[in-house]
Amino acid sequence: MAALSPEELERFQKLSNEFEPDIQGPLVSVKQSSNAIAADYANADPTLAAKTSALAVTHSTSRIMKGDGNCGWRAVAFGYFENLLSLQDALLIQREASRIKSLCTLLDRVGQQEHLYEIFVDATDQVFSELLEAVNQGIRDESFLVESFNNEYNSSAIITHFRLLTSAWMKLNPHRYQAFLSMPLDQYCATQIETVKTEIDEVGLQALVDGVIEGSGFAVEILYLDRSVGEAVTPHLLTPSRPSPAVIRLLYRPGHYDLLYRAEPVVNMTPVVNYQYGMTSDYTPWDQTALGFDMNSQLMTIPNLMLDPSYTLNVTPMVPTCSSPYRVPSPQEVYQPPMQTQPIAPVSPPVTPRISAPPPPPITTLPPRSSEGPQIRLNPLVMKSNLSRSLPVTTPFKK
Amino acid sequence: MDYTMEDTQNSAPDVQDSKLDSSSQRNDTQSVTKRLQAELMQLMLSPSPGLSAFPNADGNLLSWTATITGPTETPYEGLTLKLSFAFPNNYPYSPPTVLFKTPIYHPNVDFSGRICLDILKDKWSAVYNVQSVLLSLQSLLGEPNNASPLNAQAAELWESDQEEYKRLVLARHRDVEDVE
Repeated sequence: MAALSPEELERFQKLSNEFEPDIQGPLVSVKQSSNAIAADYANADPTLAAKTSALAVTHSTSRIMKGDGNCGWRAVAFGYFENLLSLQDALLIQREASRIKSLCTLLDRVGQQEHLYEIFVDATDQVFSELLEAVNQGIRDESFLVESFNNEYNSSAIITHFRLLTSAWMKLNPHRYQAFLSMPLDQYCATQIETVKTEIDEVGLQALVDGVIEGSGFAVEILYLDRSVGEAVTPHLLTPSRPSPAVIRLLYRPGHYDLLYRAEPVVNMTPVVNYQYGMTSDYTPWDQTALGFDMNSQLMTIPNLMLDPSYTLNVTPMVPTCSSPYRVPSPQEVYQPPMQTQPIAPVSPPVTPRISAPPPPPITTLPPRSSEGPQIRLNPLVMKSNLSRSLPVTTPFKK
Repeated sequence: MDYTMEDTQNSAPDVQDSKLDSSSQRNDTQSVTKRLQAELMQLMLSPSPGLSAFPNADGNLLSWTATITGPTETPYEGLTLKLSFAFPNNYPYSPPTVLFKTPIYHPNVDFSGRICLDILKDKWSAVYNVQSVLLSLQSLLGEPNNASPLNAQAAELWESDQEEYKRLVLARHRDVEDVE
C-alpha cells in the first residue's frame, strides 16, 4: 500500500475526528411491518434470513429504536408505557404512577440528591398524566407517546430516571448482580448504568426489569436473533413465569434492541360471539339449509313472542355485558326484522315447545315476505362447527 | 450562532415544524434553567470548602466561572485555580465544557486548559453537576491519571521528580486576579 501524503493523512484525520456514526431515523419509530427486518437479512447468512422471515410471520410488526446508545433502555421504557396505554386501565396507570414515584426512596437510600433527580422524575410523571388523560378520553392511539419519546430532551429525562432507578436497585441488591460483573458493582453502575449514552448489557437489562418493570406485573421477553442453530429466534423470559396482563417484547440483535409485536390482535376478545354478531359487515346469506331459518320465519314474526315472562330473565345474555373496548351494536342495529317484533333469538329451532304457554295475539296481517324470511346475518367466516358455541341464542332456551 | 439558528428556521420548508421545534426548545431551555438554578441553590446552601461557582455576570445561566483550591499535601497546596463552565442546551444529558482558565501544569491538562477526564466525556452522568465535577477535579490535582497524559513531561516528572514537578507547577501558576 502506497504511503499517504501528509495532506491526505491530515484530511483523513479530520474526517475521522468529525466522524459521527450514520444513525438515521427517529428515536422511536412508528409500528412497521417486520418484513422490513426480514428484507434487511434476505441476502445475509441463511440462518438469519430464515429466522427473520419466520419472525415476520409470528411477530408481524415491530418498532425500531434509534441505535444511539440508549436503544435498550428506550425500548423497555417505551414498551412499558405503551402497554399501559393499550390496557386502557386508568386505575392501573394511577397505581403504576405512584409505584414509580415511590421508588424515589431507592434513589434517596443510595444518596442521590433530589434537586438533581427531580427533573427526571417529573418527566416520567408527565408521561403518566398524558396516559391517564388519554385513557380517560378513550384514546388508544399511541402517537402521542411516540411523539413524547421523540423529543430528545424528554426522552433522555425518562431514560435517565429509569437508569438511576436501576442503578439504585443494583446497589441495594448487590448479591444478585455482583457475580455477573467483571468490576465492582459501584464502578459498574457509575460507568455503565448512570451514564447518559452507554448501551445496556444483559446484567443491566435484568436489573432494569427486576427493579423497575417487574412491580407492574408485566412480562419482559427477549427474542434473540443470532446465528445459533435453529429456524426461529430464541425467546427468553426475563420475568418470572406467571400470568401477565402485558408483555414487553424485545428483539435483540447483537448490540441493538427493538420492540416486537405478536401477530395476533391484542384486543380482549371475550366473549367472542358478540363481536362476530355485532361486527358483521357482510350480509350475504350463507348456509341457510343447515340452520333451517325458513322453518321459523313464521314463528319469528309473532308479535310479543318474547314477552313471555318465562323468557325475559334469560334474554339478557344477548346484550354484551363485558366492558369491552368495542361498542357492540345492539341487535336492532344489525338486524331489522320486517315487523317490529323483538329481534332477538334469531336462530331458534328448539323454541317450538315453549310457545304453547302464552297465547300469542292474533296474527292479523302478515306482511308479504320474501322466500328467505328474515335472514340471520352472520360473518361468513364463522365456521359451522363453531356455531353451537358462538351463537348465544341457545342460552335463553336451555334449562 | 443566533443568526445561523434564524436562518435554518426561516428556510425550513414547513413553518409548522419549525414552530413546534422552537416551542420544544423553549421547554428544554426551561428545564436546563431549572436544573442549573437548583445546582446554584445547592452550592449556596451547602458550600463545599475549597470550591466556588457562580453564573457569569452576563445573565446567561449557561456559562459559569468556578474556582478550586489545591488540596493540602499536593504540589497545588494553597493555589487557587479558576475554571470556566459552558453548559450545552441539552444539559444535563451532555457534559459541560470545562476549561482551566488559570495556567496549570498537570499531566491531564493541556496548555490551553483542556482537561482529560472521563466523567467530562463518555462517562458523564446526568446526576453529575458543577459541585461533583469540581470535587473530581480537585482530587485529580492530587491523583493524576498518568496512563493517558495530555502533558507527557508532567506525567513523567510526577513519577520521577516531585520537586522539579512542584517547581514547574509554581512557575506556571498565575494569581486569580491576573487571570482574564
